[in-house]
Amino acid sequence: MNSMERVLTTLAGKPLDRRAVAPVLSLYGARLTNCPLEQYYTDPVAYARGQSAVRETFQPDVLFSPFAFASIGAAFGSEVHFFANQAPNIRRPAIQSAEDWDKLVLPDPDTHPRLLFFREAIRRMAAEHQGQVPIAAVLPPPIDLPALIMGIETWLETVLFDAGGTQRIMDQVVPFFVRLANSLLADGATFIVLPCAFASPTIVTREIAAAFARPALEEALAQLKGPVVLHHIGAPILRHLDLLTGLPSTVAFALDHQDNLSQARRVVGPAAVLFGGPNGPNLGRMTRAQVESECRAVLENRRHDIHFVLFTSGADVPLDTPPENIHAMREAAESFGGIDA
Amino acid sequence: MDIQQSLIERIHLGDRVGANALLDAWASEHGYECLLAEVLDPALILIGEEWSSSETFTLAQAYVAAKVTQDMLDKISARRISSFGELPPKGSVVIGNIEGDFHALGRRMVGTFLRAEGWIVHDLGNDVPAAIFVDKAQEVGARVIGVSAMMMTTARNVRRVREEIDRRGLTGKIQLAAGGAVFRVCPGLAEEVGADGTASDALGAAGLFERLWKRSVSKESDA
Repeated sequence: MNSMERVLTTLAGKPLDRRAVAPVLSLYGARLTNCPLEQYYTDPVAYARGQSAVRETFQPDVLFSPFAFASIGAAFGSEVHFFANQAPNIRRPAIQSAEDWDKLVLPDPDTHPRLLFFREAIRRMAAEHQGQVPIAAVLPPPIDLPALIMGIETWLETVLFDAGGTQRIMDQVVPFFVRLANSLLADGATFIVLPCAFASPTIVTREIAAAFARPALEEALAQLKGPVVLHHIGAPILRHLDLLTGLPSTVAFALDHQDNLSQARRVVGPAAVLFGGPNGPNLGRMTRAQVESECRAVLENRRHDIHFVLFTSGADVPLDTPPENIHAMREAAESFGGIDA
Repeated sequence: MDIQQSLIERIHLGDRVGANALLDAWASEHGYECLLAEVLDPALILIGEEWSSSETFTLAQAYVAAKVTQDMLDKISARRISSFGELPPKGSVVIGNIEGDFHALGRRMVGTFLRAEGWIVHDLGNDVPAAIFVDKAQEVGARVIGVSAMMMTTARNVRRVREEIDRRGLTGKIQLAAGGAVFRVCPGLAEEVGADGTASDALGAAGLFERLWKRSVSKESDA
């Protein structure tokens, strides 16, 4: 069974040779190819080379597109800062207030260099790994995208105190998001991963998640031409999982390492795939034995759950994570063995 | 329902306008000079306790609390009266995001809540090198430096502030507080980067700074 078959079989709920394993190694390819990060996050050839190295080194069952939301903000005019050891961040948002939104020129996914970087990286990855390893395109959902353009504080203030401004912005963001996501699917992405901050119970109340996040996601996801994984973005998501269940195109939920997997299964029902596993950003602070032990505990917890993928929660696995800790995840899945329907 | 509970209820609802109206009405009767000490500060303590112990309190609600607090600080400032009546300020503290970190929201909320507690806050902004933190603390006589970091990679840069404090012979005299989302999800990280303390959220910063300030004074007295 290759990785593509393993993931599709997980989705279909059929017997597996072993669990699919999906550590988030978008960043880690730069370490394996000794590539400076500014080049890695602007040159699609360098990025695709890094992901080839990830596949060769770790044989993950999912490869990830650039996990670099700041570069999408940059396409709108936000100023980006590149680091030596992590994905880029936004140094200065493109606009400082919701009133400035109308001055923005929305970037064209077919022509803007910042967006073409993502598209070309996926095309190259698809060309090399098509049919063998699924490619996950990680994108900011429409409910979070404005934070990359005006900063999280200004967007939070808009969502909290300016319903009209929020709607005016979403009227433009949703079509942009749909066009970009569908372009990435057409370029070869197998599915879209959406880390959802403005639906997270640590960020917003249930009322905001229900009245703002869910309708916006519903509108956007109904227009997508491929499957979606909703991601917890680095904090427990269980308390709002019911509000995210049943959205169009959504086939899976990526959970925080603190979320109770059994409770999550009860909330989402029997058919959705759950992604769960150790905290990715913390992986380098653990020993190999600790990683393997934690993975085995998660696999044991999900022994009878056919729709489950072992992954690293949170953001990217950091560059200084020892390779043996990453190997430990797949080894845990291999030693755990096959999964019966 | 007392004024504090009414205020907390409005903050829960995200009702900034209602919270302002409530506080303005109270201040028109009792005066803005007592507002922080008698209403807002005790309410913020209750909200902080809820945030640190309850799973249902959100960043959005804490943000509303910070905005209402800032609204009141602005009104007090416009009236050129002391935030705490006749009480002197608690002292100067320095805050900022560590070098390489641009996530300002948490730091700004901490600054607002510290000001509401009577601290003179010197906010150095984002992407601040270690030496600048310590330079500023020495310049203004701050006993506490609060350093914010969102990501694991930038959190490790907090150690440089620790090293700078120690290199200048200021160990103990200047206390180092570290905060940010990553410190909450990675237990032991604050100690690992050499911080003297951390708080689980922005509202907990006021209590932490108070403890660290006292520790600094006590260490100086012992010396």
